[in-house]
Amino acid sequence: MSEEPRIGVFVCHCGLNIAGVIDVEELTEYARTLPNVVFAKRNRYTCADPGQDEIRKAIKEHNLNRVVVAACSPRMHEPTFRRCVAEAGLNPYLFEMANIREFSSWCHPNTPKEATEKAKEIVKMAVAKARLLRELKTMEVPVTNRALIVGGGIAGISAALDLADMGFKVYLLERGESIGGHMAQLDKTFPTLDCSICIEGPKMVDVSRHPNIEIISFADLLSVEGFVGNFKVRIRKNPRYIIADDCTGCGECRDVCPIEIPNEWDMNMGVRKAISVPFDQAVPLVYTILKDYCIECYKCVDACGARQAINFEQEAEEIELEVGAIIVSTGYNIYEPYDDSLYGYGKYDNVITALELERLILAAGPTGGKVVRASDGKKPHRVAIIQCVGSRDVNKYEYCSGYCCMYSVKHAVQLKEKYGDDVEIYLLYMDMRTNFKGYEEFYQRARKAGVTFIRGRVSKIIEDPETKNLIIRAEDMTLGEPIELEADMVVLSTASIPNEGTDEMSRVLNVSRGADGFFMESHPKLKPLDTPTDGIFLAGACQGPKDIPYSVSQGSGAASRAATILSKKTWEIEPIIAVVDPDACRNTRVKCGICARGCPYGAISAPEGEPAVVTAAMCHGCGTCVAECPADAIAQMHFTDAQIIAQIRAALAENPQSKILAFLCNWCSYAGADLAGTSRFEYPPTIRAIRVMCSGRVDRDFVLEAFRLGAGMVLVGACHLPYDCHYISGNVKMKARMEALAKIFEKLGLSPERFRVEYVSAAEGVKFAEVIKEMTEHMETLGEKRIKAENEKLQPTLERMLSRKKK
Amino acid sequence: MPLKLLKTNMDKEQTIERVLHAKRYALTLDKELCTGCGICAAICPREAIEIKKSPKVEGERVEPPTINIDEQKCHYCGMCGPICPFGAIEVKVDGEHLISVLESESFPQFIREIDVDTTKCDLDCVDCEEACPLELIKVRVTSPDGEEVRDIKSWPGKENLKVVVDIDKNLCPCCRLCELKCPDDAIRVRKMIQGFIKITPERCPENCQDCLDVCPITGALYLSEDEKVHVNELFCIYCGACKMVCPEEDALELQRTSIRHTPIRSGAWNKALEKLTSTKEMTKELQAKSVKKVKETVEKRLAWRG
Ligand SMILES: Cc1cc2nc3c(=O)[nH]c(=O)nc-3n(C[C@H](O)[C@H](O)[C@H](O)COP(=O)(O)OP(=O)(O)OC[C@H]3O[C@@H](n4cnc5c(N)ncnc54)[C@H](O)[C@@H]3O)c2cc1C
Ligand code: SF4
Ligand code: SF4
Ligand code: SF4
Ligand code: SF4
Repeated sequence: MSEEPRIGVFVCHCGLNIAGVIDVEELTEYARTLPNVVFAKRNRYTCADPGQDEIRKAIKEHNLNRVVVAACSPRMHEPTFRRCVAEAGLNPYLFEMANIREFSSWCHPNTPKEATEKAKEIVKMAVAKARLLRELKTMEVPVTNRALIVGGGIAGISAALDLADMGFKVYLLERGESIGGHMAQLDKTFPTLDCSICIEGPKMVDVSRHPNIEIISFADLLSVEGFVGNFKVRIRKNPRYIIADDCTGCGECRDVCPIEIPNEWDMNMGVRKAISVPFDQAVPLVYTILKDYCIECYKCVDACGARQAINFEQEAEEIELEVGAIIVSTGYNIYEPYDDSLYGYGKYDNVITALELERLILAAGPTGGKVVRASDGKKPHRVAIIQCVGSRDVNKYEYCSGYCCMYSVKHAVQLKEKYGDDVEIYLLYMDMRTNFKGYEEFYQRARKAGVTFIRGRVSKIIEDPETKNLIIRAEDMTLGEPIELEADMVVLSTASIPNEGTDEMSRVLNVSRGADGFFMESHPKLKPLDTPTDGIFLAGACQGPKDIPYSVSQGSGAASRAATILSKKTWEIEPIIAVVDPDACRNTRVKCGICARGCPYGAISAPEGEPAVVTAAMCHGCGTCVAECPADAIAQMHFTDAQIIAQIRAALAENPQSKILAFLCNWCSYAGADLAGTSRFEYPPTIRAIRVMCSGRVDRDFVLEAFRLGAGMVLVGACHLPYDCHYISGNVKMKARMEALAKIFEKLGLSPERFRVEYVSAAEGVKFAEVIKEMTEHMETLGEKRIKAENEKLQPTLERMLSRKKK
Repeated sequence: MPLKLLKTNMDKEQTIERVLHAKRYALTLDKELCTGCGICAAICPREAIEIKKSPKVEGERVEPPTINIDEQKCHYCGMCGPICPFGAIEVKVDGEHLISVLESESFPQFIREIDVDTTKCDLDCVDCEEACPLELIKVRVTSPDGEEVRDIKSWPGKENLKVVVDIDKNLCPCCRLCELKCPDDAIRVRKMIQGFIKITPERCPENCQDCLDVCPITGALYLSEDEKVHVNELFCIYCGACKMVCPEEDALELQRTSIRHTPIRSGAWNKALEKLTSTKEMTKELQAKSVKKVKETVEKRLAWRG
């Protein structure tokens, strides 16, 4: 590609959207004067078929090897025009867009002259970048058409069955002894009150019989390497001390084992043996010796006899799998409010959690289905159910756990149906949330059954030391006065919280978590099942509290998302990735690896003494490493230093002291600026913006270069901290980098307001406009003289700091 | 109700409890019966029993070590109950004295062979009662209708009076003092623990008689004219309380060689036996009793110990 660039510029009228403000004729004329521009033309609608035809025609007729379209936001039509130039035989990466609509005509409708001037510079910047564009090839990686599902609750089970039915091989990894998850612990399910294990059990058996599914239970996920279509997964199978293939599940060993231990499956309310299964319907039905408790009497060995399924020598085994896609369905946990003295949980015998009630009311549970008090084994006659324990509480978990209202109503109905008039139920709630099909009707059923609903928040529970009854003090919001109730048993509907080990999982899988601690989806509306890591999907309560129907739907949804990869032979990857120049990398000489530590995706490895390498398929193209590299040894394709510096220089060629040079990240701040345009928020035409994929790409040198060239102000726009970054943590790296830089500027006497980092979301068009207004005001207050003087003082230092860039 | 692990420590006893919504386990240590010998701690598979040496005050009798049971670690297997030679530990499930390792024959009980032929007893002899260092014997004289007779002298027909010797066998470590003090050869006791013990007085520090201070059996250790402690092996029950307090590494040697217990086939017992005696003694017992598969398993499990 050393041939001389021949650039064609196409200026779009966008009807009157652009042409109504900007002098498009003048702009086109101006474009013709720019270096390497050999053709320029105006179109009414460049994106429409005739407009695209003109581009294709011009490429052929004028032998164009670069195309610039001055029109709307690249976030809108870049893909359209890339396709268009490709159809004419040009590499799609030899195309560049100049956003003169959202960034000029729409936000400066009342100053057409300035808008036109600004548009000229926007085109100039685009042409400057276009001159340096290089051909890039979309990469294709092969796809392993097998899937790993982590977590065998109802969400994971649903996903596994769907994928297996589509014909894909599925590994279902479960850390517990059995699949089933929380659903297998429940007695009945709302709103139909069918028996939970009766509907889940057959599904569990289907999983175990499916020829395409392999259950790997009692095992932990150790590591995940690789990338979409090509993951390498290491798993440790923990020893059960039972040879799975030889165990018939007869339970004779359990009968002879002398050791009883609390059964976690029963919320530690009942016991299991040191050799046992957590519950009778366990899948796989393989016994486990809990070695910590076993006294090694070997009674079980005798009982097992000729089957010889017991092996005390068994050791943990590590296996490696190759899969193309991963579904995470690790579920949730419940909050146990030991730390909140309000409820007396753990202190008062007759205060239990809702999940404990599930185990009590279940016929196969520790009390054989009898709801009895721990203090005296008697049946309670007055049960108080308390909602929102830990949920919707700013001091604990701010979010609503979603399904507690429904299961509490279920518990009330169950107790009423079981004990009739013999039991009174008080249900204390804040708001009753019964959306979704059949839920409100179920709530009405509880009302009809005679459950007393009290709208109010509990202020204190105390125990009567004699009777062990509980006195509940609350504020009745309907009556507007405090009330006091006595109950024999209190059931707490506690918050649903991220499962144990979620942090570890998030590290191993490189999937970020939200402020609430649950896994975070790629987009709350449009990509609810995706994670930012391609090929890894989420299903069920691991992403946030969900009931069973919702978890099942997500399982099926995630299965179909995974199938979009698994069904392909190869997968395409956008080539805007980072590339290391091995000769420039200093890791061969000193222990560096800064890039490897900076990469949010773990896509770089920098083995000691060797140059760093980027695994192309894992690189998401944020460019954070490029900016972090102290030796300038990494380049981001399509966003190279040279290209960006050319844009900076083009933007600041004239009157730099009265301009704000901005670096805006594609996903938040650039989108916010677009929104300011589409919303027609007006702001001064002082800004010249350079789009980068992530604020993490903004190199210190870019800011230095801008001030060296005499910029009035510099702005770095990013996604909000800590979780909004599209590339997990590019903004965090940028923040640290820019804070250090600001300190240097302070020492050098730069007015602090001249360099600003702002977090603007895609929804904050108003904020963006405000920021530009404010910065412009500051710039005017400081005045050209002061700015120039500061710059002059700065100049020698900046020249020195940038000396190695001057190639 | 969530699981509760509780502990109450009182002057005379320590109780730990595991309370589940549907079941309750309790273990009580009778501090007055405990001699601090450490046998329970040695066999506890969860290492839940901690032995604390009592601080020594110059010029005063040394106190036996105290034991402390960790309510977080204990899982109520109950093995410490039957292994305590002094019956100081009791395990209860839902209030019932129930030791599942005994029920399932995963752990044996001591065989305490104590035979009293009361026909040989003198009506007015209470020598055994006085001899028992643990005060486990009660001697009484009864009339034909079973009434206790206190005033024997004025009782008309002495030949129809009977001597009854009540021994609280569960607490008896079988030291044989009663047998040896009996003037009429009416009691036979077989030791339940066999072994050997040796004190090398030259190695004992000046004026030390710590072992003697803690020995629960009067006369098993004694101070002779040389101001040093010596052993009378006849009475020693090999509990090892002395060894626990002996300040010199090799002044006192104590080795158990065998334990008389109810027949058993259990790896847990083999392990306990190995800890209390030695690998050699344990294998001897194993060879004698085990079926092939269990023996193989045990041998494999022990292989790494050589
Ligand atoms: C008291 C109570 C009553 C309820 N009643 C109802 C009801 O009546 N109706 C209803 O619709 N919903 C009800 N729910 C909600 C229901 O439990 C959930 O919707 C459902 O269990 C979510 O399924 P899941 O598969 O996403 O997660 P889970 O059921 O939590 O399953 C997650 C699985 O992943 C495994 N796992 C976790 N971490 C790892 C790891 N690191 N590696 C491997 N495996 C891992 C777990 O062992 C588990 O098997 C109730 C919840 C509670 C607390
Ligand atoms: S060896 Fe362990 S698991 Fe087997 S019966 Fe004995 S205590 Fe139970
Ligand atoms: S075995 Fe020894 S230390 Fe343990 S309780 Fe019995 S007497 Fe005390
Ligand atoms: S019951 Fe078992 S676990 Fe508990 S202290 Fe005694 S020997 Fe140890
Ligand atoms: S001398 Fe014998 S009886 Fe006395 S403490 Fe030592 S071992 Fe026990």
